[in-house]
Amino acid sequence: MDHLKIAATDRSPDVDFDFEAGVFSLKGESYPEDASTVFGPIFAALDRFFSSADIRELRFDFDLIYFNSSSAKALMNMFQMMENAAGRGTKVVVNWHYAADDETMKEFGEDFSEDLENVTFNLVPSSSAA
Amino acid sequence: MSSGDSESGGGFNLFDAEERVLAAAARLQRRLTNADPDTRQGVEALTEAYSRSVREQRRLVKVSDRLQNQLANLNQELGKRRAEAEEALAQLKETQETLVQAEKLASLGALVGGVAHEINTPVGIALSCASHLADSTKRLAALFEADDIGVEDFQAYLATATDTARLIQANCERAAALIGSFKQVAVDRTSSERRNFELAGYIAETLSSLSPKLRQNGHKVVIDCPAGIEMDGYPGALSQVLTNLVLNSATHGYDLGQSGTLRIAVEQPAPDQIRLVYSDDGKGIPEEYRNRVFDPFFTTRRGQGGTGLGLHILYNLVTGPMQGTVAMESESGGGTRFVLTFPRLIADKS
Repeated sequence: MDHLKIAATDRSPDVDFDFEAGVFSLKGESYPEDASTVFGPIFAALDRFFSSADIRELRFDFDLIYFNSSSAKALMNMFQMMENAAGRGTKVVVNWHYAADDETMKEFGEDFSEDLENVTFNLVPSSSAA
Repeated sequence: MSSGDSESGGGFNLFDAEERVLAAAARLQRRLTNADPDTRQGVEALTEAYSRSVREQRRLVKVSDRLQNQLANLNQELGKRRAEAEEALAQLKETQETLVQAEKLASLGALVGGVAHEINTPVGIALSCASHLADSTKRLAALFEADDIGVEDFQAYLATATDTARLIQANCERAAALIGSFKQVAVDRTSSERRNFELAGYIAETLSSLSPKLRQNGHKVVIDCPAGIEMDGYPGALSQVLTNLVLNSATHGYDLGQSGTLRIAVEQPAPDQIRLVYSDDGKGIPEEYRNRVFDPFFTTRRGQGGTGLGLHILYNLVTGPMQGTVAMESESGGGTRFVLTFPRLIADKS
C-alpha cells in the first residue's frame, strides 16, 4: 500500500502512515469542521490495510495537543480496529504522547487504554516544549 | 482511495460500529418472532434503549463539536485581539514618549519666551537712550558747524550724554546678567549634564526666568533656602521640576484674576539630604484627583492646552535623575504642597 501522508492544517493533524514499515503517526490538533474530510481517508486506508495485510507488528504514535468530540470518537474507533487486529495475533504498540503538564491529555490516554486488552498502550510524557 | 470497501460503503461514518450492532439487533428481533413474548419484549426494549443511546451519543458529539469549534474560534479571535491590543499599547507608549519630549520642548519654549520678555526691557531702554544721544549729538554738531554753539547748549548736551551713557551701560549690564543666568538654565535644561551647583542661587535663577509669567497674574514667590548648599547632580532636572511646579500652580491653582503666594522652602534634615517643600495657597487639588496627578496624560484641561504630562515629567525627574522621592499633599481650598526629598550628591550609576 502507498504511504499515506497528509500535512497538518490548523484544525487537522499531520498524518503519516507507513504501511510497509507498520509505523503510523497522528500529530497535532484535530477539530475539523467536518470530521469525515479528515477521518474519511484515514479509515478507508486503515480498513483496507487491516483486511488485506498479513501484519506481524504495528506501532502507532499519537501526539495530539487538542481534539474535539468527533475526533475522540474516531480515535476510539481506530483503537477498536487495533484491538481487533491484536486479538487476531498482531503485535500492536500504541504510544500516547502528551505534554508532561497536560493532565487532560494524559487522562484521555488512560481512558482509551481501559478498553484495550491486547494492545500495548504506553503513556509517554514529553517535556512541554511544544 | 479504492471504492471497493464494503464496510465503509464509500461514506465515512463515525458510528459505523454502533449501526452494525443495531442492524444485528434488528436481525435478532426478526428471528425472535416465535420466541416467548418476555424474551422478545426484553430484546425489543434493549434494542430500543441502545438505539436511543446511540442517537444521544451522536447528538452529544455534534453539540460538543460545535462548542469546541466556537471555543477555537473565540480563542483565535482572542489571540488576534490581544495582538492588536499589544500593538496599540506599543504605539501608545511611543506616542507618550514623543509627547513627553514635546512637553519638555514646550516648557523650554516658555522659558525662551520668558527670557525674551525679560531682556526686552533693558535692551529697549538702552536703545532709546542711544537714539536720544545720537539725536542730541547731531543737534550739537549742527550748532557747531553753524558756529552758533553756546555754553548752555554744550552743558545741556554734556548732561544728556552723561545720563544716557549711564542708562545705556546699566541696562546693557542688566541684559548681560540676565542672559548669563538664562543661558545656564537653558543649557542645563537641554543638556542632561551633571555638574556642581549652588542650590539657592540656582533656584533663584530658575524662578527669575519664570517671573514674567508669574507677574502677569500677580503671583508672588517666596524662596527660603539656606545659602551655600553645594549640590552635585543634574541642575536641568531641578530647573524643569521647579518650572513644572510653578506652571502647575499658575495654571490650576488660582481662578482668573486671583493671585497668590508660591513658596519654596529648603531644609537640610541631614548634611547630604535635601528636603524641598513647594507650596501654593491656591484652590488645592480635589480629593478624587489626588491619586492620579502623577499619571501620564491625567489632565483636567484636555482641549485647553493641558497635556497631562507636567507632573508626570516631574515625577520621573525626581525619582530618576534626582534619585529622590516626591509626595503631594493637598486639601481642597487649602493649597497644594509637594514635598521633594533628594540627596545633595547623587550616587554614581552602577
